[in-house]
Amino acid sequence: MERREPREMLRGLLGPAAPEVGCDTCFAELDRFVELELAGHDADVALPGLRAHLDGCPACREEHESLLALAAERR
Amino acid sequence: MSTVTLPVVEPGAPDLALTQRPPSLDDESRAWLDDLRTEGRTKDEAIARLHALLLRAARFEIARRRVTMPHLRGDELDDLAAEAADDAVVSVLRRLDDFRGLSRFSTWAYKFALLEAAVKLRKRAWQSREIPLEDETWNRLASARPGPDDQAETGVLLDAVREGIANGLTPHQRRVLLALAVDGVPIDVLADRLGSTRGALYKTLHDARRKLRAHLAERGVALGQWLEES
Repeated sequence: MERREPREMLRGLLGPAAPEVGCDTCFAELDRFVELELAGHDADVALPGLRAHLDGCPACREEHESLLALAAERR
Repeated sequence: MSTVTLPVVEPGAPDLALTQRPPSLDDESRAWLDDLRTEGRTKDEAIARLHALLLRAARFEIARRRVTMPHLRGDELDDLAAEAADDAVVSVLRRLDDFRGLSRFSTWAYKFALLEAAVKLRKRAWQSREIPLEDETWNRLASARPGPDDQAETGVLLDAVREGIANGLTPHQRRVLLALAVDGVPIDVLADRLGSTRGALYKTLHDARRKLRAHLAERGVALGQWLEES
């Protein structure tokens, strides 16, 4: 079992402070969020609560990183 | 750029109907939809192209994560990518009417393949591992101490969080929170073992976190700035 530093553990236990969407909404909006980011628009203003969810959900965060990288590569 | 209202602070709630007028589709996305909605040879060829597109996406995800799976052979990873692409094609075809044209069709479709590949990788990584027992996890949390670079407030915060987890959460919230946040069990794996879904477990996690934050606020425990920064 990997050992987590206290700060990392506390971040995971307390989660993001800002209001956030859930995993289902995150998935539904992720493609638009990524394209706004790649186009240089303010995705956080267009889709409030999604960034906070990515901060709090490691699985969605990984999928966001991958979609961003893949979409950027194929533009 | 338009702003859309999302259902904030409601993890697990059904998606709200978004009230935007669908934008005009780009030519490539329109062609995908037309071909996938027709019948006969054109549709069959479009599905074959879609499978190839999603297979590339699945392989992309597996290549990014394979360092975390050193024990898997190349042919096992190929099989996993093929399974992910197959499942993603089914998901895309089933949810074709959900595509609102707010992104390119290919970006929308990619996410299904990335999700399938990521979930399969996480489950494969944990397939022979047990979820740690709660007592074991609790002991790990109880023994956590601030490091030399931490301020004294981190120790106070740890104590208050431990008290909040012990006394302020339901047994289910405690189990989910400890498994996800302390043990680092992937949420898909935990959902599978508990017969739940990612969305439902995240709602539980979210509720537990809100309770913990309220517990800290009631006791006047300060949260470090580092904790509130993304």
